[in-house]
Amino acid sequence: MSADAPRASRAPRSIVPPVEYTGPRHFTLPDDGMQRVLVSDKVSVELGGKRILHEVSFWIPKGEFVCLCGPNGAGKSTFLKTVLGMIEPTSGSIQILGQRAGTANKAVGYVPQRKTFDQDFPATALELIVANLRGTWPLRVRPDERERARATLRRVGGEKLIDKPLAGLSGGETQRVFLARALINDPALVILDEPTAGVDVKGRHEFLEILAEISASDELAAILVTHNPAAIARCAERVVYIDGRLIAWGLPHELLGQESLSAIAFSMKDHANNLPPDED
Amino acid sequence: MNFLIEPFSQPFMQRAVFAGMAVGGLCAMLGVFVVQRGLSFIGDGLAHAAFGGIALGLLLGASVSHATWIALPFTVLVSLGIAFVLRRGRMRGDVATGVFFAVSFALGVLFLGLRPVTAQSVNVETVLFGSILAVSNTDLQIVLGVCVAVAIALALTWTRLAYATFDPELARLSGIRVEALDYMLLALTAVVIVVAVKTVGIALVSSFVVIPAATARMLGRSLHRVALFAVAIGVGGAALGLLLSYHLNVASGATIILTLGAGFGLALALRKR
Ligand SMILES: Nc1ncnc2c1ncn2[C@@H]1O[C@H](COP(=O)(O)OP(=O)(O)OP(=O)(O)O)[C@@H](O)[C@H]1O
Ligand SMILES: [Mg+2]
Repeated sequence: MSADAPRASRAPRSIVPPVEYTGPRHFTLPDDGMQRVLVSDKVSVELGGKRILHEVSFWIPKGEFVCLCGPNGAGKSTFLKTVLGMIEPTSGSIQILGQRAGTANKAVGYVPQRKTFDQDFPATALELIVANLRGTWPLRVRPDERERARATLRRVGGEKLIDKPLAGLSGGETQRVFLARALINDPALVILDEPTAGVDVKGRHEFLEILAEISASDELAAILVTHNPAAIARCAERVVYIDGRLIAWGLPHELLGQESLSAIAFSMKDHANNLPPDED
Repeated sequence: MNFLIEPFSQPFMQRAVFAGMAVGGLCAMLGVFVVQRGLSFIGDGLAHAAFGGIALGLLLGASVSHATWIALPFTVLVSLGIAFVLRRGRMRGDVATGVFFAVSFALGVLFLGLRPVTAQSVNVETVLFGSILAVSNTDLQIVLGVCVAVAIALALTWTRLAYATFDPELARLSGIRVEALDYMLLALTAVVIVVAVKTVGIALVSSFVVIPAATARMLGRSLHRVALFAVAIGVGGAALGLLLSYHLNVASGATIILTLGAGFGLALALRKR
């Protein structure tokens, strides 16, 4: 079916996959002793009187790499902000390592969307990373902090970026530095909100390789918001698909193989290739 | 040598140079944060708010120099208003500043017009362009006092203020109270602006905030370097400008700003290379 599916799925953003919710309606944790990094228990969020998320429930075992997908406006960023404790759920709860979201911020590393920060700020990669280590902007970086930052940068293949000014970094390098920043506190979970949006193909590919290594790790869990099928294929150990509510939660091949969910793939493909809309 | 020493043998020049250097350094230090946050116009906006405050003071019967004490709370209130609108309205800084700027200036004009015809006439030029050569001992004490207070406040909050300037969201995630810092920064700026208006005047004060910070930004690669450069430029520009204006016998406030402008041009040329 995918072969003759219209390439010109012209308005992928408005396509809501015609899928009925098949997951558990009443969410109970199976008592199997599995260590969970994150538990989202019937999380509902309202913003400005508008319901953005409705009873989203799933969990992430230790070390699992989750791709969070869904159309634009589905509430993916809102969910991440709730995980970070920046938004309080209207009902339900998010637990991170058994603690309420927002109370365990060192356990969560965050890679923001590119361009949310001040591109012109006079700072080096080192200062940015150490700022997250200390919780304040460093006036002077101590040698031990520098060593730690260097080790973390090495982990993401960015060791030589350590003294570079942020303003001079390419898109891919910037995101690498931000990933190192997120990893400096040795979190149990790292959150990435469309980290490669606006990054060129080469940078995106390189970043994906680093994410794949994180995915291979058994210690570090991740939530990656992405519209990129390549990222899902390369990194995802599990896929969560939301559109206001939880639509699907399962293994990547299960979900992408489902005929009813094929629309997802196409909506994502258009994002990835950044195709201009056909005529019309 | 005499070129340097002779002018400062006169008490009024001594007061002027101390006041100018203090105001220049202070404005520059705040300017680093303000400019980096895209609020370059805040200096202008608050200076015009200060005009509204001075006019209110005059309307209430104060003298020009005492009107500052009315202008101070008035301008701080306006700055907090701007901070509030920035937070709430999800509005760009230049828009919020522009609105407050216009409204408080209009209020100032209105207040001046409402004064009884018998009231003492006001030298508008003094208010607009300042009177750094007429700084009194009391004025100087106030300037230096404010200088110390603001420098202490900045030193205590520097690392958090810097983080919040870089990215409020990430700073908040690190547990920094970003909102409180925003209000503090704008209130401090208001205080410094009111004090500065007395010396360099409404029309020129904004360049004290913007030019040293913008020049230093081209020279430094880390925020604290930029801050140090900016303060040095603000202090040095004030002293050099005063000296030049003395020898050339031209308006001192304007000469200081032109000196700062020349420095900016120099940095721009050096950077291009
Ligand atoms: N502060 C807010 N107040 C009201 N509505 C909001 C607020 N923030 C987001 N929304 C709305 O919530 C919905 C979900 O937004 P969100 O940014 O979470 O979507 P998303 O899945 O991340 O989309 P995208 O793929 O475009 O990044 C959108 O319709 C948005 O307009
Ligand atoms: Mg989003």
